[in-house]
Amino acid sequence: MTVAIARTKAEQGFTRNFEAAAPQLPGGPSVAAARRAAIGAFAGLGLPHRRLEAWKYTDLRSALKEALPAAVGAVRAPPGPAQIDNALEELAELDAHRVVFVDGVYAPALSSAATLAGLAFAPLAERLASPEGAAAGGLAAAADEDAVVALNTAFMTDGAVIDIARGAKLAKPLLLLFVRAAGEGRLVTTRNLLSVGANARATVIEAHLTLPGAAAGQSNALSELAIAEGAEVAHLKLTLAGEAESHLATWRPTLAAGASYRAFQFTAGTGLVRNGVALTFAGEGAKADVSGSFLGRGNEHIDTTLVIDHALPGCESRELFKGVLTDRARGVFQGKVIVRPDAQKTDGKQMAQVLMLSEDAEFDSKPELEINADDVVCGHGSTSAEIDADLLFYFRARGITAEEARALLIESFIGEAIDKVDEVLRPALMAVARRRLAQLSR
Amino acid sequence: MGRCPAPLPLLEKIKVMLRIENLRVKLAEEDKLILDGVSLEVPKGQVHAIMGPNGSGKSTLAYVLSGRDGYQVTGGRIEWEGEDLLALEPDERAAKGVFLAFQYPMEIPGVATMTFLHTAVNSVRKQRGEKEFTIPEFLKRARAEAARLAMPDDMLKRPLNVGFSGGEKKRMEILQMAMLEPTLCVMDETDSGLDIDAVRVVSEGVNRLRSKDRAMLIITHYQRLLNYIVPDRVHVMAAGKIQKSGGKELALELEKTGYAEFQSRAA
Repeated sequence: MTVAIARTKAEQGFTRNFEAAAPQLPGGPSVAAARRAAIGAFAGLGLPHRRLEAWKYTDLRSALKEALPAAVGAVRAPPGPAQIDNALEELAELDAHRVVFVDGVYAPALSSAATLAGLAFAPLAERLASPEGAAAGGLAAAADEDAVVALNTAFMTDGAVIDIARGAKLAKPLLLLFVRAAGEGRLVTTRNLLSVGANARATVIEAHLTLPGAAAGQSNALSELAIAEGAEVAHLKLTLAGEAESHLATWRPTLAAGASYRAFQFTAGTGLVRNGVALTFAGEGAKADVSGSFLGRGNEHIDTTLVIDHALPGCESRELFKGVLTDRARGVFQGKVIVRPDAQKTDGKQMAQVLMLSEDAEFDSKPELEINADDVVCGHGSTSAEIDADLLFYFRARGITAEEARALLIESFIGEAIDKVDEVLRPALMAVARRRLAQLSR
Repeated sequence: MGRCPAPLPLLEKIKVMLRIENLRVKLAEEDKLILDGVSLEVPKGQVHAIMGPNGSGKSTLAYVLSGRDGYQVTGGRIEWEGEDLLALEPDERAAKGVFLAFQYPMEIPGVATMTFLHTAVNSVRKQRGEKEFTIPEFLKRARAEAARLAMPDDMLKRPLNVGFSGGEKKRMEILQMAMLEPTLCVMDETDSGLDIDAVRVVSEGVNRLRSKDRAMLIITHYQRLLNYIVPDRVHVMAAGKIQKSGGKELALELEKTGYAEFQSRAA
């Protein structure tokens, strides 16, 4: 028996837009076949909706009204370095290797990381066109059950393929910059493949920005990370893409034994955001910290959904997310921690906290612990509160005006999460956050 | 041209910094009267102690002086340097020189002590029409003051009061008091939870700030603190009223007799 499912305008649009874009998307026949399989899978799945537990609070079927045409090929008038620096705010001063993508296409003229000791970089588009084809794009795996990832496979235009050699210690962070420059709203789809060799050390920053004058649109960004034994990776994400942007991101880090992964996601001023992180401990004694902070205003909707899979013994996971919501903004936090039967001595702690600055803001928090081993330590917590009146009085009793006191208290609230970020990056991130905080009505 | 005689009542007003008249206060949420007609005058340059049993209304008086929410003044007034104190916001009172040393100083995670102090000092200076301190100017003063209170430098870098011991928190209150240069210091149970060495350090800090231009109100349950900060006047408060006033010897008397007399009188 077949059941005909009514597809929304957006769902039909993605399929139709794929047909239009397919001839221009990079890759040989094996890649094209994988893309076609993915859009087929998407047609079967449709956009995720609220009846799927993982999408309970973020119903894309109703949130995405249309599918924007896919961005393919380089923009006619690429931005200059000054425009990029301007968009990066304080991060522009960071001493980092840059890899820049403009509307989903690698921009070598703006990039500086092509040749570095211990690091091999290639644009994904180039890899997809190579004889390795689909295997190079990480497409060899079976068709995904995740509609967002299926869309990524179908539409991806470019991204960073990075191999960090065994034992290499990168002195400077790697800044992967995804900017929108086009005047029309487009679907921009990128995929990064990071492979970090044993005992290597690296810091990778992803920034998703919209240049002044450019149109926000839809973006789908996927990062796959394979972190080998004993390697240490810090992974930062900034999403500041504009209130008209719908941004769907997926991170899939896999940690080998003894690896260390510290992730931090900062989100502000973006209309609809889904930050999905699916982390797998594939070796014993690895450690992960996945934290972040988000600021929502207007009608913004910011969803953080984590799945931390403790498949093997002796791993440690930490999550701390702190958000500030005002106006009618909505924050979502879903934190699933799976402890498999073999994963004894697991140590997991999770906390999500939100400061509510308006009565119409909403925070939905759903921790989920699935514990199938008996010798584990796991904890979670979630709070949403207004600014503490006693703290406010303490500030005011010292002569600090109510407005300034509120600003300091909000900043300190967010600062507790930002303190997780390496101190080299922290001041720049704090400055970016402070500017966004000043824009929140309180 | 004849000389006018100086207007005596005005002079007196300036000499008496703090004048509390028949102050009646209840909790905003409940009907229970906590202060039931408190009258008190503290002249410039003097230190007055308010002693009393738990629940007598001492801390409420401190909070009402500094403008905390949650209380409703149902009668009486507080005049301070000729101004109606109750009409001012807490930060305006601080700018005009009111300082409350908290019984339980708040912990503020995420705000470095230096940031908090610098913001407070400059906010107050700005409202007073004084030049704001640059960071180096401020740091120099804060470090010098911290050294006088035997506080390690790194305390200033840590988040305000987070992980501080009871004694460190009270010293931090005195440091703030010294930096903000108030003219009315209200100290709410400053000795509570302190060992004898900490009481001495804190008291020395307070005594350094005694001046002819400053009035102080020391709120305490025990006489002990008054061995170190010797008051000009002592007032006994019970059941929301000043029951008795006297010289410093009144504190010693209370140490022997306790508050029973006043509590039974109130009941």
